[in-house]
Amino acid sequence: MTRLRLGFIALNDAASMIVAQTKGFFAAEGLDVELVREVSWATMRDKMSVGALDGAHMLAPAALAITLGASGGEPTPLAAPFALNLNGPAITLSSRLAGALGAGTSAEGLARLIAWRRTEGASPLTLAVVFPFSTHNYLLRDWLARAGVDPDRDVRMTVAPPSRMTELLVGGVVEGFSVTEPWDSAAEAAGAGMIAARGAQLWPRTPDKVFTVTEAWAEANPQALQALLRALLQAAAWTDADENRDELAALLAAPEHVGADAEVIGRSLSGMIFHEGGANRPEPVHAAWLAAQMMRWGHIPADVDIPALARRVYRPDLFATAAASLDLAEAPALESLKGYSTAGEFRLADARRHAQQGPLSRIVGG
Amino acid sequence: MRVLVVDPDPARAALVAEGLAGVEPLEVRHAPTFDEREAARFGPDVIVVASDSPDRDTIESLREATAANPRPVVMFVDRSEPGLAEQAVLAGVSAYVVDGLSAARVRSVLEVAMSRFQLMNGLRQDLEKAKADLASRKTVERAKALLMKERGLDEDAAYKLLRKLSMDTGRPLGAVAADLLAFAGVLKGGGQ
Repeated sequence: MTRLRLGFIALNDAASMIVAQTKGFFAAEGLDVELVREVSWATMRDKMSVGALDGAHMLAPAALAITLGASGGEPTPLAAPFALNLNGPAITLSSRLAGALGAGTSAEGLARLIAWRRTEGASPLTLAVVFPFSTHNYLLRDWLARAGVDPDRDVRMTVAPPSRMTELLVGGVVEGFSVTEPWDSAAEAAGAGMIAARGAQLWPRTPDKVFTVTEAWAEANPQALQALLRALLQAAAWTDADENRDELAALLAAPEHVGADAEVIGRSLSGMIFHEGGANRPEPVHAAWLAAQMMRWGHIPADVDIPALARRVYRPDLFATAAASLDLAEAPALESLKGYSTAGEFRLADARRHAQQGPLSRIVGG
Repeated sequence: MRVLVVDPDPARAALVAEGLAGVEPLEVRHAPTFDEREAARFGPDVIVVASDSPDRDTIESLREATAANPRPVVMFVDRSEPGLAEQAVLAGVSAYVVDGLSAARVRSVLEVAMSRFQLMNGLRQDLEKAKADLASRKTVERAKALLMKERGLDEDAAYKLLRKLSMDTGRPLGAVAADLLAFAGVLKGGGQ
């Protein structure tokens, strides 16, 4: 048996890792896995950097940032050979704010409210995300920017742990947030907030979490990695199956996993995709889209070669080997993202051009 | 010395206070969870956070966002993570990590962390300044010229616009100027 330590955060999208462990998919592949629940992405990053974890549940933008060394510390090249889910994040506003906006809590309504507050001299609204380098940060920023709100100037963006978001809404510390389920539905269930937008409404089949190992580990342990990917693929298929959803909700609800109400989790799973339609294939075009957002907001230098970064971190080649060994039909590579931008379509080669829509483009774009 | 200890378990704050006994003046404040406003009011010289605190991401993002006023963060790692502390320090990972704390060691640990932080911070600032002085004058001049041409601004207005962008985004003038030039290159078809 190969012994491995894998880290996860208490979120619905760790489901395939939790299922692989509890339903015996890891063991069936000869893996003796210890699943370690981490409580912060910073600690997850540090443990991956020093080799205290062999693999990790990871925010896709964090995998890119850690590879570049943009998220603090020395660069640690990560490989993402597996996409854990699509459609996890949502944008939630406090009930107070949703009430003030009236029907249809749209970004445009929020933009008007923010403009009005500015003329009244009120302090900017505080919105929270889970980590600077997160799909959530870029999703929320894009949602705001499409309505003409500058996230760096017109609101205050902060970072808070997902499981504490409801409490922060109730306490008035934040007026809105973007996190992955079940914590949006949990805030709704508690009457503290209202989901204003689902990720999929902005970015259809929203990329979210990936499973990562370090590039060095992937090179040194090719067989263990393939065994991991086979176990995750089978677990993902189980996780996605309708007939397993009740059992899945109960499994995730356990205090050692996500630790939230099973009924809320069950509801919050409804839009999430763990396997179907080639969802597990790590698509470089997803990584490029997220890297373009990172560049757009000045979170990575403007001279990063995005297609090269996307192809280095996202590894459909490693995924394809595992899929082939399970006799799974090869899903065609995703060449473009439709409906992601006002331009209608996004391709790997468009990354730099997209990054231009940032605050600077208002000055030179004309 | 003002120390903020963020830890669900009050035992660590008590340990820190015990270890710092005799330091004058001293205020050790314990908070089970991190509250940004309270922390700002308290103005700690050093923040101690448990490595298993969910607030680590918040504290870390704060350090990045407020580069003008950074605080050293000492992170305590549970004994159940053997080796993480030493490896993390060797790797220069974000925070100062200490394994297995005893009251007798608290003072030296915090002092070392604070002085190392000040040293690193000083070095970083010197390096950034030296690099910025060298590169940014040229870059800023070119970005100014670009703005004057593209927007028909005079030199003074172009400079003010750059400075405003720098303040809005919390990034150095040279970095904003460099990005501006890079983006302008893309718009002119210089990129992909």
